[in-house]
Amino acid sequence: MKTDESMKTKWRARLRLWGKKRGGRMTGWWFIGSLGEALFFAAVFLIGVFLSAILISWQLMSQSTQPLKIGYGFWLFLGVCLSFVVMGIVGFWYRVLKVVTSDEHREVLDLKSILPQPLKETQQTKRVLTPPTIPDVKRLTDSPGARLAYRLPSQIPENGALVALGVFAMAWNAMIAVFLVIAAENVLRSQVPWQLILLLVPGIYVAIRSARLFFRSFIRTLGIGSTTVEIQDLPLLPGREYGLEIVQYGRLVIKKITVRLECQEESTYHFGTDLRIERQTVFSEEIASHGRDRIDWGYPLRMECRFAVPQDAMHSFQSKHNAVHWKIVVSGEANRWPSYSRSFPVVVYPQPNPSRAIAAP
Amino acid sequence: MIRLIGLQPTYMPGDSLEFEYRVANVDRGSIVAVECSVCWITEGKGTEDLGVHFFQRLAGDSLAAIDWSIAQKISCPLPVSPLSYEGQLLKISWCVRARFFLNDGTELMAQQPFYLGTVTREI
Repeated sequence: MKTDESMKTKWRARLRLWGKKRGGRMTGWWFIGSLGEALFFAAVFLIGVFLSAILISWQLMSQSTQPLKIGYGFWLFLGVCLSFVVMGIVGFWYRVLKVVTSDEHREVLDLKSILPQPLKETQQTKRVLTPPTIPDVKRLTDSPGARLAYRLPSQIPENGALVALGVFAMAWNAMIAVFLVIAAENVLRSQVPWQLILLLVPGIYVAIRSARLFFRSFIRTLGIGSTTVEIQDLPLLPGREYGLEIVQYGRLVIKKITVRLECQEESTYHFGTDLRIERQTVFSEEIASHGRDRIDWGYPLRMECRFAVPQDAMHSFQSKHNAVHWKIVVSGEANRWPSYSRSFPVVVYPQPNPSRAIAAP
Repeated sequence: MIRLIGLQPTYMPGDSLEFEYRVANVDRGSIVAVECSVCWITEGKGTEDLGVHFFQRLAGDSLAAIDWSIAQKISCPLPVSPLSYEGQLLKISWCVRARFFLNDGTELMAQQPFYLGTVTREI
């Protein structure tokens, strides 16, 4: 009797109507959720097949009952039906695999290439391969430097914002210009369009503000000038020393410029329906700094320094939702300009021959 | 039960990981499939990631040929990365996992953690 009661409680807990979900974790029974999703996608697949069959059979078999003329309408309807079929197949098998296979088995099916393959001593396999889960260094080494081996690509978030702002300002101003012409035409015909004029007042205000903001950002970018960083070698190895050259262009008076080596952890997670990214700097070391100086067109500021990645540092790491990034960060403070910070990613490999560790408790 | 054949639970990249596993108190005939894997997992604030370095699935004839009275021994070379890591947002752990699938739908899982490289903590 007691066993029956416990079974009932267990099933009641598993089959409850409402549950809470936080990212991949949930209070309900995951099996029921996956089964429901699989059934939903199976239904989508069947609907797609059914509609496609009806459409094709009506169109091809019976000339008298053509529901749609062959043209955009027919192809659009067929495309929608086939998209239902594709969505249904992919969704259904993804959910089924989720239920019938273990996490490890599914991962192997997804990423068969990460399994170790037997190595043959051929010329092809002798070349250096990127270790697993470490970002490819090729994207950083495709630009040779003028003085050192490589020029690092920069990650400047302000540039993206500047382009977005420029596109918005252009589009908004063009739209307002068109409405202004329409309003002016009507006024010249002695028909004052009061509703349009009332709408144009806030529109013109936004147009002026967005154009002003864009030009201010543009002048700031031009004035501060670009920053280039060249490095002696890549990928970096813990414990080894590397040369670095930083060049700051522009026309400004620098109050202080600092160069830092930083390590940042990055985690991506779901919070409700949002996708959030959290970053945490876990290592930051100043490797060079320069005091007050004047920079002019044709006379950039050049800084040379040497730095080493700490011996016990974690290597660069990249998986689907987590990462460890290393980067060179150049920060500056200038007269009459806002302070700025520019990042240049680097890749750190694990030590090739680490000393044997002491047993961890 | 999984047992690492080594004096310590710490291995260096490129080392050979040797381990054995066995199952006790289970009717041998009820085992439908066995999966054995060497994998790393991330823990912490982000969504959990899993990477499988070694995977072996035994089912059907290959499973029937196994004598469960002796421990099953497996050896595999370890990769260069990712090394075990304990950071602020993220932790990378390595483990050996064995899953037994029984004919009544039950799944038994055993896991034995180990370290790859010296455990790197955030500095």
